[in-house]
Amino acid sequence: MIIVDATQLVIPQIVKHAIDTLSSASLDSKTLFFQCIFILFLGLVMAGLRFGWRNLLMGSARHVEKGIRDDLFKHILNLDMTYFDKVKTGDIMAHAVSDINHIRMAFGFGLIVLVDTILLGGTTLAIMLWTHPKLTAFAMIPMPFLIIVTRTLGKKMYVFHKTAQESYSQLTELVRESFFGIRIIKVFNFETFIGKKVETASTDYFKKNLRRAFVTALLKPLLGLFFNLSTIIVIFYGGFLVMQQVLSPGELVAFIQYLGILAWPVIAIGWMTNLFQRGMASLKRINILIESKASVSSPDHPVDLKKIKGNIQFKDVSFAYDNATSILSDINLDIDSGASIGISGPPGSGKTSLTQLIPRLYNTNKGKICIDNIDVTSIHLDFLRGHIALMPQESFLFSGTIRENIMMGQDMNENRLEQILKVCCLKDTIKEMPDGFDTIVGERGITLSGGQKQRIALARTLMLEKPIVILDDPISQMDTHTASKVIEGINRLSLNATFVIVSHRISALASCDKIYILKNGSIHHSGTHSELIQTDRFYKESFLVQQFEEEHGA
Amino acid sequence: MAPDNPIEEKEIKLEDLKVIKALWPYIRPYVWMLCFSTLLVFLVTLLELFMPIFTQKAFDGFIVPVSPEKGTSLFGFGIESFQIFCTVFAVFILTTFIIDFFQSLFMEYTGQKIILNLRNALFSHMTHLPVSFYDKNSSGRMVSRVAGDVENMNEMFTSILIFVFKDLIMMTGILAILFTINSKLALYLTGLVPVIVISIGFFSKVLRNAFRTIRQKIAEINHSFSEAIAGINIIQTTSSHNTFMQRFETLNFEHFKATLYQIKIFSIFMPFISFLGVFSVAIIIWVGSFEVIEASLTLGELVAFLTYMKLFFRPLRDLSEKFNLLQSALASGERIINILNTDKAKQRISKNRNQIDKISSVTFDQVNFSYEKNKIVLKNISFHLPEGNSIGIVGQTGSGKSSIINLLTGFYKQDSGDIFINQININSVNIEDIRSKTALVMQDSILFSGSIRENITPSGLDMDTTSLEKALQNANCNFLFKKFSGLDTIIKEGGRPLSSGEKQLVCISRAFAFNPDLIIFDEATSYMDSQSEQKVHDAMKKLMQGRLSIIIAHRLSTVKECDTILLLRDGKIREQGSHPDLVNLKGEYYHLLKKEKI
Repeated sequence: MIIVDATQLVIPQIVKHAIDTLSSASLDSKTLFFQCIFILFLGLVMAGLRFGWRNLLMGSARHVEKGIRDDLFKHILNLDMTYFDKVKTGDIMAHAVSDINHIRMAFGFGLIVLVDTILLGGTTLAIMLWTHPKLTAFAMIPMPFLIIVTRTLGKKMYVFHKTAQESYSQLTELVRESFFGIRIIKVFNFETFIGKKVETASTDYFKKNLRRAFVTALLKPLLGLFFNLSTIIVIFYGGFLVMQQVLSPGELVAFIQYLGILAWPVIAIGWMTNLFQRGMASLKRINILIESKASVSSPDHPVDLKKIKGNIQFKDVSFAYDNATSILSDINLDIDSGASIGISGPPGSGKTSLTQLIPRLYNTNKGKICIDNIDVTSIHLDFLRGHIALMPQESFLFSGTIRENIMMGQDMNENRLEQILKVCCLKDTIKEMPDGFDTIVGERGITLSGGQKQRIALARTLMLEKPIVILDDPISQMDTHTASKVIEGINRLSLNATFVIVSHRISALASCDKIYILKNGSIHHSGTHSELIQTDRFYKESFLVQQFEEEHGA
Repeated sequence: MAPDNPIEEKEIKLEDLKVIKALWPYIRPYVWMLCFSTLLVFLVTLLELFMPIFTQKAFDGFIVPVSPEKGTSLFGFGIESFQIFCTVFAVFILTTFIIDFFQSLFMEYTGQKIILNLRNALFSHMTHLPVSFYDKNSSGRMVSRVAGDVENMNEMFTSILIFVFKDLIMMTGILAILFTINSKLALYLTGLVPVIVISIGFFSKVLRNAFRTIRQKIAEINHSFSEAIAGINIIQTTSSHNTFMQRFETLNFEHFKATLYQIKIFSIFMPFISFLGVFSVAIIIWVGSFEVIEASLTLGELVAFLTYMKLFFRPLRDLSEKFNLLQSALASGERIINILNTDKAKQRISKNRNQIDKISSVTFDQVNFSYEKNKIVLKNISFHLPEGNSIGIVGQTGSGKSSIINLLTGFYKQDSGDIFINQININSVNIEDIRSKTALVMQDSILFSGSIRENITPSGLDMDTTSLEKALQNANCNFLFKKFSGLDTIIKEGGRPLSSGEKQLVCISRAFAFNPDLIIFDEATSYMDSQSEQKVHDAMKKLMQGRLSIIIAHRLSTVKECDTILLLRDGKIREQGSHPDLVNLKGEYYHLLKKEKI
């Protein structure tokens, strides 16, 4: 870049030279030819160098962008569920794209401008000081003001940019959520309502953006003003000096010209402040996100475990998502390795929460959970989760093929897969799909019914051969016929694991070694199927209702 | 998961003019503001050009007086004191500043205003797109259009549009001046114009392609984030961080590669334009020198020519600097227009569409339907739902139960056959009339973040607290009052902190609050235990009285009290009739019933 700047100054010299030769009226076409070629050559060199530094600086800015985005994604993957209760998806998306973009701009353009400013501004200022220190000092009178103004505006920009980005985050989330629930919006005619909500959000962003724009719009002309004030001072004071014959007119002209060169760095400072403050505010936002520690994290010195047998104990466990509403209170469980456990209870009784505590998706508020007599908080998270297969209640498919959704990046075990597909009644289903096992499903894939989704999610879980298998409501979306086939299949599968199943269907629970009935976050009753029919009203009624349904049908 | 996608991959390509033309309606209301802004830009430029004149006057009039007496004249006014001159100069500078500031602010305001309108229009358009559009395009990707791509257009409406206009006018002006100085030399210079035009054409094509890839990858990145967060508990419990991380890194690297390519192209373009400047200086000196020797050109003219030529290349350089932004904005513009051009759900075919005040019957007549061409989902479906009746639809998962609902609510359109509402063909009924009288409770319970009240009150319909609470109680939602803060319970993303069963109950209360003519329950009680389900069914029975209802279930017990039951298998109605009818038939229904007993 320095060479480019220097070369830029050489070309006028050659032109001058050429014109000088012309004015002496002695044209030597050979010299002229060489001069022209030389100009072209310099032009090429400049072009080459410009290409080089542009590529380098902007490329490195893109590199920074890529790095931050990778880090952010990695960090997100390790955050726990509690975090996502607080921070919204759209918010994170805005961070990942818009904020990182602002950081890149600050890095890329900011760096170019910075180097240019220091180089060009510094040299010019030095020359000015050299020629006339006193005049320079006078010319610099507006400088402190300039610094103050830039700093104040910079701070304002920082704040305004932050609020604008926050508003942008909210807008992003609102739009994301609306698209996600588009069916409900359509069928309940929420279009106008949601449209108004988005309009409010985008107007809010508009207003905050305008404040940001106000600072931008003020900065550049203001710096121009200070620069022009400097020029006036130089003309006024320098003019008097010339009149007093202390300074030669030529010196004054030269001085004014040097001042002219300073114009660009001054404008650049404004531009840079603008980009830099935006970049800094965005960086701060990203940092807050990246520094947010997962509240569930691996212990510093995890217990060295070789394997997990699968004994699970809950000792006085209480749990709540927020402090207002208690979800589980004083749960005590002791599940032998290899045992099968059923859990049932009315909606909101804490069944799902209980299953999610075992792989430590959340931390308990009180009490502890032990696996093989070791507190789960002292086991490395990857190790713990690597030994638990959990099927969440609501089946979620990633956009990708069925194969990818079942295998989740693991190596294929053909026999096992064959077996699992059979258990989940998926073989015929998949055969009928347009591309079989490679049919794209998920958000952009083909439309699957709830039951089909659930069976794929079940297959995904069963493929993981883990010492602890937890199924949260695995057959809720299936028709009775398929459901009973699936349950039979699972029972036959001899999982060789501790098995926890949550369900409302008695048929899925009946064969369990022990069944727990939850009510309002505590264990209401427990026992085997035949015991519970005697002791627990909920269980008995469920059983009767389900039996009645069947009887009545017959 | 897979980085490729049928919709995103299909490259969106439009001509520049088409992009501008499609965006024109959004710019039009603000044209006068843009014009005013441009006018201000010219004013500022003009004022800036006056600066050197002030300096010159200061020298000629005061510092090194040309004439014996001091003083100069500005705009016809004589100024005798140097102090006054400097004051006037200062005032002039201040005025410039104010106009400059006003211009910048005004320009930003205009741009933001256009963006605001464009975004609102785009969103409103998108909410009216058919559901099939959303089934094919993931929400994460669509978000990046409304948020990112619109944002990316911002500069198009501020600096680009105005400065491109200004620079072009300046270049034409300077070219005119060059012609008056020496038309022959100027002709040489105009020889450069086709080179510039061709190279701009070439570079814009390449750059645009690069930006297309970049914007598309950004959409993918958005999608990756939104999906990873949605499925975070699966990623964490199946220990597949690494798989997902690798996929993301690959994607991010593709984006990075695309940006590097773009930088490379642009890094060639800018120096290329600068080089053209140097090149023309060399040419002009070469040709000009001979002219000077031949005395057809004075030396002064040649110098003047060269000076102006420099002025010619400065706006050109500015233009090329903006060129990058322009291409990026246009690439986003294409993506926005692509959506704006996607037809809204075709629902208003008939001009004299019929007003429907109440849905009193529904008829399907030999309806066929498929989501994709070669895979038929519904075959020859015919049924009639008379006033006050209920229909139950049973069948295995994937037998086409939900597709019937998709047709009835106008989410999709049947391939052949007819659907009648009150004996009127659905094609000539405003679908919003149907939807506003239909309550649908789906398999997936979707709640929006906000309060319970916001979630169950239909828009534009103010409901008082008592009737809302009544609806909640009917749907067995007492837990909201016991455990949470009732109607003011705040729901977070994904319906937290409610459990899946509780979410279903709230969704059912939404239908209750709606007071519909037609109720559709699509496996609405799957996450509930038998007792809660029983209570909901009791409430439903009350609600269903005097209304039409369609109940989809996988348990036969749920539907056996319906007036008619349809048994679906492989998209065909296998058996149809009341519960006793079907039992007596001793067909598939009867067999299913026996199996359920196990």
